[in-house]
Order: sequence, then C-alpha cells, then structure tokens
Amino acid sequence: MSQSDVVPRRPKRTKNALDKIVANPVETDLFLYLRAVARIKFLDLRQETDSALQVRAARLRDVAASRPDGLLTADFPPGESAVEAFALVREASRRALKLDPFDVQMIAGLAMARGRIAELPTGEGKTLAAVFAAFAHALSGRGVHVLTFNDYLARRDADWMGPVFRRLGLSVGCVQEGQAPAVKRAAYESDVTYATAKEAGFDFLRDRLAENPAGLVHRPFHFALIDEADSILVDEARIPLVISGAEDRVTWDAARLAAVVRRLVPGRDYETDDEHRNVFLTDAGQTAAESGLGMAGLYAPENQTLLEALYCALHAESLLRRDIDYIVRDGRIAIIDEFTGRVVEKRLWPDGLQAAVEAKEGLQRRTEGRILGSITLQHFFRLYPRLAGMTATARSAAAELREFYDLNTVIVPPHVPSRRADLPDAVFSHRDAKRRALIEEVAAVHAARRPVLVGTASVKESEELAAGLRAVGIPCAVLNARADEKEAAVIAEAGRPGAVTISTNMAGRGTDIRLGGADERERAEAVSLGGLYVIGTNRHESPRIDRQLRGRAGRQGDPGQTRFFISLEDDLFERYGLTKMFRARHRIVPSGDPIGTDPIRREIEHAQRVIEGQNFDIRRQLAGYATLIELQRRIVQERRDALLHGEPAEGMPPASSGEPVAGGEPWPLGRLRESEPALYERGTARFGRAVLARIERRAALYHLDRTWSDHLAWVQDTRDSIHLVKLGGKTPIDEFRRQATEEFLGLRERVAGAVADETAAFIRSGGTEEAFAERLKGPSSTWTYLVNDDQVSWGMGMAGFRNIGFASIAAGPLSPLFLLTILVGRFFRRKSKTATPPAAGTPEGQ
Amino acid sequence: MMLDSIRNIFSIPELRKRVIFTLLLLAVYRVGGQIPTPGISSTALAEFWQSQKGTIFGFMDMFSGRYMSKMTIFALGIMPYISSSIILQLLTVVWPYLERLSKEGELGRKKITQYTRYGTLGICIIQGWAIALLLQGLTSPGGARIVPSPGLPFQLLTVLTLTTGTIFVMWLGEQISERGIGNGISLLIFAGIVARFPAGLGGIVQGLKNGSWNPIKIIVLVTMMVLVIGFIVYVERGQRRIPVSYAKRVVGRRVYGGQSTHLPLRVNTGGVIPIIFAASIITIPATIAQMIKIPALQGMARQFNLGMPLYNLTYVAAIIFFTYFYVSIIFNPTDVADNLRKYGGFIPGIRPGKNTSDAIDEILSRITLVGAVYLALLAILPEFLMTGFKVQYLPLIGGWLDRVLPSWFTQGLQVDFYFGGTSILIVVGVAMDTLQQLEAQLVMRHYDGFMRKGRIRGRRG
Repeated sequence: MSQSDVVPRRPKRTKNALDKIVANPVETDLFLYLRAVARIKFLDLRQETDSALQVRAARLRDVAASRPDGLLTADFPPGESAVEAFALVREASRRALKLDPFDVQMIAGLAMARGRIAELPTGEGKTLAAVFAAFAHALSGRGVHVLTFNDYLARRDADWMGPVFRRLGLSVGCVQEGQAPAVKRAAYESDVTYATAKEAGFDFLRDRLAENPAGLVHRPFHFALIDEADSILVDEARIPLVISGAEDRVTWDAARLAAVVRRLVPGRDYETDDEHRNVFLTDAGQTAAESGLGMAGLYAPENQTLLEALYCALHAESLLRRDIDYIVRDGRIAIIDEFTGRVVEKRLWPDGLQAAVEAKEGLQRRTEGRILGSITLQHFFRLYPRLAGMTATARSAAAELREFYDLNTVIVPPHVPSRRADLPDAVFSHRDAKRRALIEEVAAVHAARRPVLVGTASVKESEELAAGLRAVGIPCAVLNARADEKEAAVIAEAGRPGAVTISTNMAGRGTDIRLGGADERERAEAVSLGGLYVIGTNRHESPRIDRQLRGRAGRQGDPGQTRFFISLEDDLFERYGLTKMFRARHRIVPSGDPIGTDPIRREIEHAQRVIEGQNFDIRRQLAGYATLIELQRRIVQERRDALLHGEPAEGMPPASSGEPVAGGEPWPLGRLRESEPALYERGTARFGRAVLARIERRAALYHLDRTWSDHLAWVQDTRDSIHLVKLGGKTPIDEFRRQATEEFLGLRERVAGAVADETAAFIRSGGTEEAFAERLKGPSSTWTYLVNDDQVSWGMGMAGFRNIGFASIAAGPLSPLFLLTILVGRFFRRKSKTATPPAAGTPEGQ
Repeated sequence: MMLDSIRNIFSIPELRKRVIFTLLLLAVYRVGGQIPTPGISSTALAEFWQSQKGTIFGFMDMFSGRYMSKMTIFALGIMPYISSSIILQLLTVVWPYLERLSKEGELGRKKITQYTRYGTLGICIIQGWAIALLLQGLTSPGGARIVPSPGLPFQLLTVLTLTTGTIFVMWLGEQISERGIGNGISLLIFAGIVARFPAGLGGIVQGLKNGSWNPIKIIVLVTMMVLVIGFIVYVERGQRRIPVSYAKRVVGRRVYGGQSTHLPLRVNTGGVIPIIFAASIITIPATIAQMIKIPALQGMARQFNLGMPLYNLTYVAAIIFFTYFYVSIIFNPTDVADNLRKYGGFIPGIRPGKNTSDAIDEILSRITLVGAVYLALLAILPEFLMTGFKVQYLPLIGGWLDRVLPSWFTQGLQVDFYFGGTSILIVVGVAMDTLQQLEAQLVMRHYDGFMRKGRIRGRRG
C-alpha cells in the first residue's frame, strides 16, 4: 500500500441538479478538520490518572453549563474547551475500550458536533465517532439523544460505549420498546440516551397525552445524533408516527367479509396497483361481492360502512402478505418493519385493517383504535434545536438533507481504503433462473469455505432460499423477524469460514460482520479466502440501500466481494411496470442464462433513479401538507403544556381574533364564566374557586385531546381527496391550507364550548372531583401505527387544466399546428397504450 | 374590505416582498416595451398596422402587448416561449425519451424546462428573421418604406434585438413565478392587455373633447364593462359539484358539514382556448386574402372580415365546436372514473366504472353547452357593441334584413369597446388565479399571534 492511499484524498464533488441553485450541500474540504484533529492529538492525556481526567471533565461541564447555549462546539474551528473534550474522549476510549480512535473518527465526531451529517464508510467505527459529538453536547447536562436504527443497536451501543462516558463522569441510559414509563424517564434523564428514533418519537407523542406533569418521560430536547441518517431522515421521513387509543366500535362481521373476499379472483374481480399499494374491485368483482354478501346496491350511501369494511378485507387479502408484511406468532399478528426487517411490538394497522387481517388469519379480534396524536418523523426531528447524523451513504441524499433539515454533509474518507470488489449484476429473465443461479453460486463459494451473506427481501424469500440450499446439502443460518432472538449469535458466526447466512434486511444497516467470527479467531483463513461475499437477491428502490448491503463486506480495509442477482420479475420491476417494458425493448426471451448486458444494467440504474426522483417529489409534496398540520399541532401542544403545568398562558391571541378573553382566562378556559355567570358563581360558591379551576383544566385537557384527534381524522380524510379540486381549477395545497385553517379555527371554538358544557354539567350534577377525573380519563392502553403515506392518492391523470390553458393562450397563430399535434399525439398514445402498459405514474407537479 | 385585504397583504413581510417584486418586474416589462428596435421608421409602421386590423397579425399583436405594432425590443413578447413549451408538451406525448424525462421528478422537469428555453431561442431566431424580412418588404399605405436601409446588417441587428428581448421577458416571467405572486407568464400577458387601458381612457377623453363621445355613451360603456366582468366572474366560478365518497375511512371522526368531498365540474372547463382556436382559424381567410391579391377571392374573403355577419356566424359555430372539442381533449370521464375507483372513491348510489363515467359524461356535456354559449356570447358581444351585426352585407337577403331589423341590432351601440372578449377573459382569469394564490398566502395570517415561540423551524415554512 502506498502512502498516497492512506492520505485522505479529496473526494469527488457530487453532481446534482440542486447544486446549481443552492450552495453545494456536500463539504469536501477537510483542511480545518485535520488541523483540529492535530490539536486534539497534541493534547496528550496518557500520563494523567483516571481521577485527573474526571476533574478535567467536571471543569468542562461547569464551563458548558454556564454558557447560555450550552454548546462548546458552536464555533469552528473548535475552541480550547472543545479540543480538550475531544482529547478526553480519545483517552477514555483507549482506557475503557482499548480502542485508539482513528483520525477519521475524530473528523466525523467534529463534523457531527457542529451539526453536520458525517458520511463514514461502513465498518469505520461510527459508533465511537458518535461518542465524541455526544460527549461534547452532553457536557451541558441538557441531554443528548443518540438515535439508533433499531433496538438491538441501541442496547449494543449503550452497553459498548457506556464505559467511556462513565469514566468521564457522565451517565448513560438506554431506551427500549415496551419499557415502563418510569424506566424510560430514568433513561431520558441520563446525560446521554441511546434509543431508536421511532421510540423517542412515540414517547414524545405519549407525553402529549399525559394528564399531569409527572407522567412525562422526555426532557426538553437539546441535541440529537441520528445514526443511519439518510434512512431515517430521508427514506422514513414521510412516515407519520401515530399513537392511538382503544375505542370499541361496531364493525361488520370481519370473518364473513374475509370469506367473501377470499372467493374473489385476482385480476378478474379486483386489480391491485402495487406501486401505490392500492386495490380496487372491477365491475365483475362488484357483482361477485354483492352476490357473496347476498345484497345489491353496495354503493348506495347507506352501505358506506359496509363498503369500507369490505375494502379493508380486500386490502388485507390482497396487499398484506403473510411472511412478508407480517408473521403470525403466538396467535397474534406481528408486523414487520419495512425498513429494519424486525417485528415491531405494540403496532397495529389503522382503519379497521387490523381486524381484517386478523379475520383473514382466523385469529381473535383485538380492539380498534382512534388516532390520538401524530407527527411525522421529519417534524419530530425539527423539534430538536440541534441535529447531527452519520451514515455510510449520505452523498446522494445530501440535497434532500439540506432542503428539509438544513443539514450539510461532510464526507469523511476511509481510514484504510476499501478492498471490496463490487461485481456487476447478474441479470436473469425470470425468477426461476435467478434462483437456480443463486444456489449454484452459493454452493460454489461455499465449497471453498468462503463466508457468504445473502440479503433477501422478505421473511418468506429468506426461508425459501434456505430450504433450497439445505436441499442441496448446504447448511445455512437464517436471520429474519421470525428468528430475531438469535440475531446476535447469527451475526457473530457470519464471518467464519464456511458460514452461509441468509438474511432479510435485518442484516442491512448497522450490522457489523467480523471476518473469522466475532472473536476473529479464524480471521486469517477468512481473509485468505477473499473475505465476505455478499449477495443481494434484489435491487432496492434506492441505490443507497443497495450500497448499505454491499457495505457489509470489506469493512476497515478487509477484502470482500459483492454482487446482486436480479431478475426482471423482481418486485421492484413488477411494481413499476418495468418487467414488460424491458422485455419488449430488449426482446428478451426467457432463458436460464444471465442476460446482463450493459444496456440492461444502465436501464435498471435509470429506473432506480426515476423511482428516487419520484419519491423525492412525493416527500416534497407531503412536506407541504404536513408542515401546516405541524404548525397547528404546535399551537395545540403549547396550550396543552401550559394547561398541564398550570401556567398562565401568555401571548395568546387578543380579542380581535374572535376569542372572548375579556375575563382574562385564555382559551379554552373561561367560556362558562362568560356565558353563564350565574351558574359559574353557584359553582364557585359550592366547590370553591380552586376546585372549579381544576375541573375546568381537566375538562380542557380532555377535550383538547379529543378534538385534536378528530381534527387529525379530518385532515387524513381531506388530504386523500383534495386532489379533486384540481378539476375545479384550484391548487390542491392552497385549497388544503384554506380548508384546514377554517377547520382549525372551528376546532378552537368547539373545544371552548365543550369545556364550558362539561364544567356546567359538573356544577349542575354536583359530583365529586375524583369521579369527574375518572370519567375523563384518557385511553388505558396506547399503541402505535406506522401509516405509510404511499397510500395518499395524488390524482394522477387529472391535469391542471388552467395551467395548461394559460400556457397556451397565445397559441393563436400556432393553433392549427397545435390541434394537429394533439390529434397525432392522441393517436400515438393510444397505440403505445396498447403496446406497453403505462410506466409508473408521476405525482402531478404543482 | 378591499382596503383591508391590501393592508393584510402588506402586513405580511414575505407577501409584501413578493407583491412588490412582481409589480417591479411588470414595470420593467412595460418600460422596456417602449424601446423601439433600431432601423425602423415608426410613422410608416404605425400606418401599416392601422391597415392590418382583424388579420392574424392583429391577433399576434394583441398577445405581444401591442409591442409588435410599435416594433419595440419586446416585439416577439413571451410568445416564442409559450410556443416552445407547447411544442415540448406535445412532444412529450409522442417522444418516449421526453415522456420518461417528464416522469423523473424534479430532475427531469428541470431538464425539460431547459429544453424549453433552448427551443425559445430557436423560435426567436426564426421569427425574428422572418419579421426582419417581412419588414424590409413592407411599405406603408402611403408608400413609405418601413425599413429605410434594408440589408443583412439590419436583419442581424433585428434578430439579435428581438431574441435578446424575448429571452429577457422570459426571464422576467420565470422570476415572477418563482419569487413573486402568480404565474409570471400569464401575468406578463395580463400586463400587456391591461396596459392598453390608459390609452383607451385617453381616447375617450379625446372623444369627449371633439364631441364623438357623449356622457350617455360613457355610462353605457361603464355599465356594460361592469356587467360583462361580473358575468365572467360568475360563470368562471360556476361549477357542478358531484358528491364523492371514499371507502377508505379513518376511525373516530365526527360528521363534517359543508366541505364535503366532491368532483367540481366547471362550467367553463376549457378556459379561453376554444375562443383562441376559433379566432385563429377564422382569421385564416382574411390573412390569405391579404397575401394573395386575387379580386374574386378577396371579395369572398371580405365576407369573413371582422364584424361581418358570416364571420360572426362561423365564429359562434366554431367556438361551440371547439369548446366541446377541447373539453374532450383535456377531460376524459373514463380516466376520472378510473382514478376515483383506484383510490376507493365513488359517487354515492352509482357503481364505479362505466356507470360512473357515463354519469360524469352526461353532466359534463350539459354544463359544457352552457359554457360554450357563454364563450360565444363573450366573443361576439364586443363586436356587437361596436358595430352591430352588419346584415346589409349578407348576400341576397341582406338588404331586406337591414330594413326589418331594429337599428341597435344592425348598427350596434356605436360604442368603442376597447377590449375583445378574449382579452377580458384572459384578464379576469389571470386576476382570479392570482387572487387565489394571494388568498392562500393570506390564510397563514390566521396563525399569527398563536405561538409564543417563533415559526416552525426549517427553510420551507
């Protein structure tokens, strides 16, 4: 290896269309970082005792706590205190972990400390790099959240890195799914808390439903450091976290509907639109469903709820696939997280879909819920005053990270250059050929004892492949949601010579496979065999996810090899209608041999790019809708917090906004005293002013939550159909803003009214305060939904007429040509429609 | 109320900035439009245009904001850009490469915009050259040459000037769309039309002085203007709302009144396009007659001159035809019905699929008739006001009709109406669209004062 390989090279500038408009969101000049690292290394603490280190740390904490922003690292290049903090972490890591941090880890740490996204190749020790930034921000005592990709990593990282923090006198906590509130509160009280991003978000939503301040688990947010930032901030950002509470509701006989739906024939009775995960009945299906139910007039207004239930049953039957989207375990449906491949506890599907899936699997029905609170991950992260993140694949997401979070990306070079070889894809015309070739390939590699990791797309695929391999005598370990308790053990063995591991995306991000096993005992042999061979069985929607899987091989300069085996029948191509297009364009005949030519590979890459572009558009559009609702949510939350803590409200709108606040009590209190002073006086005389005030506040909390929940339902409903206004020449987002604002103003009125009514009822009935509080209790149990916003329809095919119209008004002289071209165009379009199915629809640009 | 709205606009800094920006750029457009291109005798030019009313050149002139008749640096106006974007839109349908590009999201759209700009450049050069050549060959009715010193230098200079002018106007339009309020391109056309208003006013004042106008005429004119604009606004807002239900519902909601989900079918779906199609088709005879000077043909073509009865009749028929034609192009009931069905929507009581598309088709056909008649009225009314239906020019029965029909029908009100129906429709349409955008911005004002801490963090508020 020559010197020039080790010296960090200037990474290539990424080419991106947004570059032209905004400043480049990618920072590649590391000069200042390198200088800072030199200063950190110059401060050698090796001779100091442990207690001397603690004294230094304690002094830094005082400095940090005394600063108003509490940040030691706001300045760049870093000041003396920050350099000292980094040097302390460096030394503590040497002592507690026997790890000497690399320069690149410190560069990443510096970048994150100043609120950047650090791109660090896989296996370069992101976990340790995060400690630098976390420590620097935790010194102020205001709490740092290190948000990991999954629960397993939260636990592992907290256990692993905990000693470093503790050696320097900081406390470390770890939040896991399903912990009791008291345990969580203690963890969030720590200086540094490891948790998954989603769990932190759900805890935030649960806090919003607390009935007294003691029920809160979170402290005010200070700094969050997000692991796998591109996945969480970009891919998952549009997913709203939803919290819901039990509410029983009469529903149609789900079992009977499931039976009716099961008899329908796909393709004839219903069609699915895989890309949007929608399903709908055809004409034949409508008739079949009506006869199955023994009725007519399914679409009559009075049968609306039946129709809803039927659609749920249909959705469950056709779109939710057992062992892909969920598994059945212990008589229950366990939902598999689309991104992490893991089972998620306490999560249900919304809108009666859960009941439909339970009926489909013949399981006992659980309760349905109403949505109590919701926030998108994107807006949740924006609640943190400071954000930073790290990932191995930030580059292609940099523009989006900049646009949505105002985060720049710093590209950190590898400590040791990668020796990984990424082979070109093996492309097959159909699934069987791919499967055969896959098994042959694994067998061949396994025969040489080289460790193999196969990344599949679902539980089902992983199990089928494992069965296929075992049938030809190849022993293999399976890592999927069904066997998630064995995760650590399987990963520990995956790098040993002779190991064959079949995994779902559970082995995607954050999994560290060491050559020669976790103890690296057989490392030399594994290296001599060429290192880990990673095989992907599918391309993903985003090339970033592909790169993540590849990243499992060749960590820290190890040798390694990766290759994707894909077929034109893969879900990705089917979903976007590309299978037929490829076949037609490249005249592909089914054969067992690879068909991977360069044009086809280019085509596949192009398809991925198109899909990514579309997803970016969808996220941008969704952000437009979500931002308004977030504004409303914050208004409600601020008011609720004030009520919860019993603070007087300040800064509330003056009387000019139609709010009767003459009595001085801010919304939603005080309405009763306005409207029925006599009754209110009677109440004060009987119960005392303090009790009545408590009653009113209690009622306000209850009705605020309830009305907000209704509002969220309204928002969901409206957003699903708002695209129709385009037909009337209006802009959906503008119209949505108008309607949502009107609704919100009405909401404030309704809450105030409901609080007054509730209080009046209390005075009239004369019950006890305890009974009143009991009656207005919130939901006893809560769970979470993860709604995928893909289901939002965007009204494709409905052009914005006005816009076309005005673009062409001056077409006068051109119009004969215009007319002719329209006619020719329609003719061609009709022809091409019959030839190939239309490609994936695009969301209508605004 | 109006003043209130204006005050509201100016109380939001962001909005104030956008509105001022828009106005400034429009002013730049107007001022720049007064600068003539070099090498042209302006008096000869003015005389020439006087003789071109009612031909296709007159039409083109309208859209360039009358900059063409004055041969200013913005003479080509925004039209090449519009032509280019239309051509690209149409190519997207027939050319798979562009179709794929249009589906690539942000990146693809940017590329298409870029191609549109290149297209604009090309069209500018061709049109600029054509105009230069045309001008060289023209003489005013009085015999004066419009271009005193023709030749290659003049041609090159003209192409350069006109192309630069249009590219600049295009840039103005894009800037308004991006940093101002409303659609920049529409607003530029709007500004071009509205800018004639002061000139018209001046004409009236002049007329009052020399007696060709009297106060009664002015009252009639103003009343007619108010009525016509009111009528346009009324019809443009008119829609038939077909209720829609969705089978995908969220648990736990109350019943909402008022803003129920519906398909809004507009009375005038096609906007101003049918009139434009009809008008441009109908100017063809007059334009051809101008070019080829065969007496027999010219006599026939004269029947199709602006304001002639045959012209009017054909015009009305063409508008009605194109209204249906255009609606059928942009609104496909089958697509709408399919789209509804895909997302679980349906019209209560009507089965999805064919039944639904038939229902939509039926309603659409009916309201489009109203729309077509409305457009025809709008297009004819100004002519009528000015000159009446000149039935006496009809062959055979003309003389008799002229005697039988009342004079207000045959002579019109003799009111000089300064705007054609198309212009008013464009102006009102653009104004309504822009106001709607303003309104959407104003909505956010409702949230002021709610929050103790500032606005939501992030660049995209």
